[in-house]
Amino acid sequence: MAQSSALPVEQYNFDIVRKFMIVAMVYGVLGMSVGLYIACELAWPFLNFDIPALTFGRLRPVHTSLVVFGFGGSALFATAYYIVQRTCQARLAFPWLAEFTFWGWTAGVALGVITYMAGFSQGREYAEFEWPLDIAITLVWVCYIVVYVETVRRRSQPHIYVANWFFMAFLLAVALLHIFNNLAVPVSLTKSYSLFAGVQDAMTQWWYGHNAVGFFLTAAFLGMMYYFVPKQAGRPVYSYRLSIIHFWALIFLYMWAGGHHLHWTALPDWVSTLAATFSILLLMPSWGGMINGIMTLSGAWDKLRSDPIMLFLITSLSFYGMSTFEGPLMSLKSVNALSHYTDWTIGHVHSGALGWVALVSFGSFYHLIPRLYQTKLYSKTLVYVHFWLATIGIVLYITSMWVAGIGQGLMLRGFDDYGNLAYTFIETVEFMHTPYVWRALGGAFFVVGALVMAYNMVMTARASRSEQAALEAKLAAKLAKA
Amino acid sequence: MFDWLLWFTQMENSKPLALVLFFGAFCGILIYLFTGKQRARRLESYKYIPFDDEPPQLDNSPSGHQSQSRKVMDNE
Amino acid sequence: MRHEHIETNSALMLLLILVVISIGGLVEIVPLFYINDTIEKVDGVRPYTPLEMRGRDIYVREGCYLCHSQMIRPFRDEWLRYGHYSLAAESQYDHPFQWGSRRTGPDLARVGGKYSNQWQVQHLKNPQSVVPQSIMPRYPWLLENDLDYSDVGARMRALRATGVPYSLVQQEYDANVKRFGKDIADQLDISQGQESLLKQARDKNFDGLPNRVTEMEALVAYLQVLGTMVDFTKYEEGYFAKFR
Repeated sequence: MAQSSALPVEQYNFDIVRKFMIVAMVYGVLGMSVGLYIACELAWPFLNFDIPALTFGRLRPVHTSLVVFGFGGSALFATAYYIVQRTCQARLAFPWLAEFTFWGWTAGVALGVITYMAGFSQGREYAEFEWPLDIAITLVWVCYIVVYVETVRRRSQPHIYVANWFFMAFLLAVALLHIFNNLAVPVSLTKSYSLFAGVQDAMTQWWYGHNAVGFFLTAAFLGMMYYFVPKQAGRPVYSYRLSIIHFWALIFLYMWAGGHHLHWTALPDWVSTLAATFSILLLMPSWGGMINGIMTLSGAWDKLRSDPIMLFLITSLSFYGMSTFEGPLMSLKSVNALSHYTDWTIGHVHSGALGWVALVSFGSFYHLIPRLYQTKLYSKTLVYVHFWLATIGIVLYITSMWVAGIGQGLMLRGFDDYGNLAYTFIETVEFMHTPYVWRALGGAFFVVGALVMAYNMVMTARASRSEQAALEAKLAAKLAKA
Repeated sequence: MFDWLLWFTQMENSKPLALVLFFGAFCGILIYLFTGKQRARRLESYKYIPFDDEPPQLDNSPSGHQSQSRKVMDNE
Repeated sequence: MRHEHIETNSALMLLLILVVISIGGLVEIVPLFYINDTIEKVDGVRPYTPLEMRGRDIYVREGCYLCHSQMIRPFRDEWLRYGHYSLAAESQYDHPFQWGSRRTGPDLARVGGKYSNQWQVQHLKNPQSVVPQSIMPRYPWLLENDLDYSDVGARMRALRATGVPYSLVQQEYDANVKRFGKDIADQLDISQGQESLLKQARDKNFDGLPNRVTEMEALVAYLQVLGTMVDFTKYEEGYFAKFR
């Protein structure tokens, strides 16, 4: 038994997980703060300060890249490297390569946001990185795949656990999407033109854009859910068979849905109809997954009362369920006619990004922190504080965006008794000021919540260090006595 | 006699055909998954994998499930 | 075949995942390159002149697409507000497309010719001076920065590699003369890129500064051509519906 007590540290590579978790928190706080800042710019435009690097147009990709790739991506690296080791019971393969993915990814995101502020952009949403960075990211990604798959191959567990299927699908799909969406002809190191034009370019971009959501922000985070929810609940996932159908249906259907971002545009109708159909179908696997996650707690609902981490995880699944219901709804052409081009879309994205992606990551991190630092969490109360700050923030955010989006949509299509437009465009902009202020407030709640978590994390790490030091001192004293 | 095969050669029929194929595959998977007691028990047993690996000092569950710690490579 | 076979074999699992995720994209994207009706048959759409093209680069650089769409949908309110719905043909030379996804500001697909050059310059310099309630940032540096047109040839060559008919050899030039007329063909000639950029700037003086070619010059030139290439009076009502 004495030998096995050293197992976790000896057997697994937790160092890389810890690093990615820390950088995820740093990028998370940064990215959310930039988000808050640009939300304020929309409410109070003087905040653009006539400084090119601070204008909304340049900061918006900074925000999206920091939160999606910086926070979400690093959280996925951290949890993927943790889960694959724990469920395969194998040490991470090629530790030096994993180390390279850490520095490569961190530097890639940092360089990316700096170049955006300098004005280097491909002009494709969520794929603004210019081509040299795209190539560097591809390289890092390939290394990620190699480390991950080789660790799976070295497993001492005959079965590959379902969380790993989701991560594998995510790794392959993101590689595929990233490469095809970023095909471009370079002019110089800082400028390129996309290979495709117009309608084909639009479809490729939204095939990428939607599946960045589908695989980066959904499939991989479902992998996180399939590990951390059962672990935190101390009971296995509700139904393994449901997870099989959930997995295959989800990855198959997602890839068809991108065209719903282009309803009523110059994209041919057959594509957008097909995309809408598959978007509706997508509701089934999405809810299958949500039910599978939430029902894991069946018979142990009292955990929600005593365990704030469980609260994070289950709330994230509820938001997942909500936004995967809203998504198919918005993919209906008639609803989309109103919602497209408005803040309803922004609200929808954030109910998924804040409600699902961020909350499930926070929950998983809270689960990880004591295990990675070999001590108990500094403060459970602060976890509750974080939870309520985040939840209030999300609710404020989503509701204000519903008001802004649906309001603007209705105003823009309003006619007076004579058949003339009832409102000018600028009147809708004026109308949106109030919801914009509320949205910024919601964002502020969320950022403060993340800061509370960062504080909790730092204090835990410090406690861990002093405990370690005390232990060593004791050991040294014992040795000296001997 | 084999005239009905011509139906497959027409492009506009690709949609119903694809629908039937995909839906058939979906139903096949459902039937495979949710029929058979034996199969159900077998498949559901894999959901305990995450618990095969409790680090001893954090282990507070009374699980008797221990890692097989057998080295297995693909296709073994 | 049991699901366990897949679960215990990582290579098989990866292969199956790859097959399953490839189908959707293949079915929806590949045909767009082959089905002829995807892009409407319509006269008038031409590649951007060097000056307009540089303006477009600035449009992309400043991230205008994050608040302005360039895609009018076939609805009555959009027809009244912006004009005829956008055709796929109108963005056929757009690398990358700038249809956008959010209208924090109005659609720009047909903003060309709607306002004077002077209005555009003033609005970009200080939007609130012409639209007091506007929340658009000010872009004063566009007037301060001289346009860098030294690499305009390289940019045209790169766009040519993607399929935009900028001409490099006589044969291509002749084809352009036939397709777009001599005046435009001259401007699409890569070897004369800088000269035609300067000529258009001098002739039109978009930025109101006769002795300088600023970034404002290029951006306004681009804005003023948006949506003006197709003459919709030449086509019958409903002609374009065939292609949808």
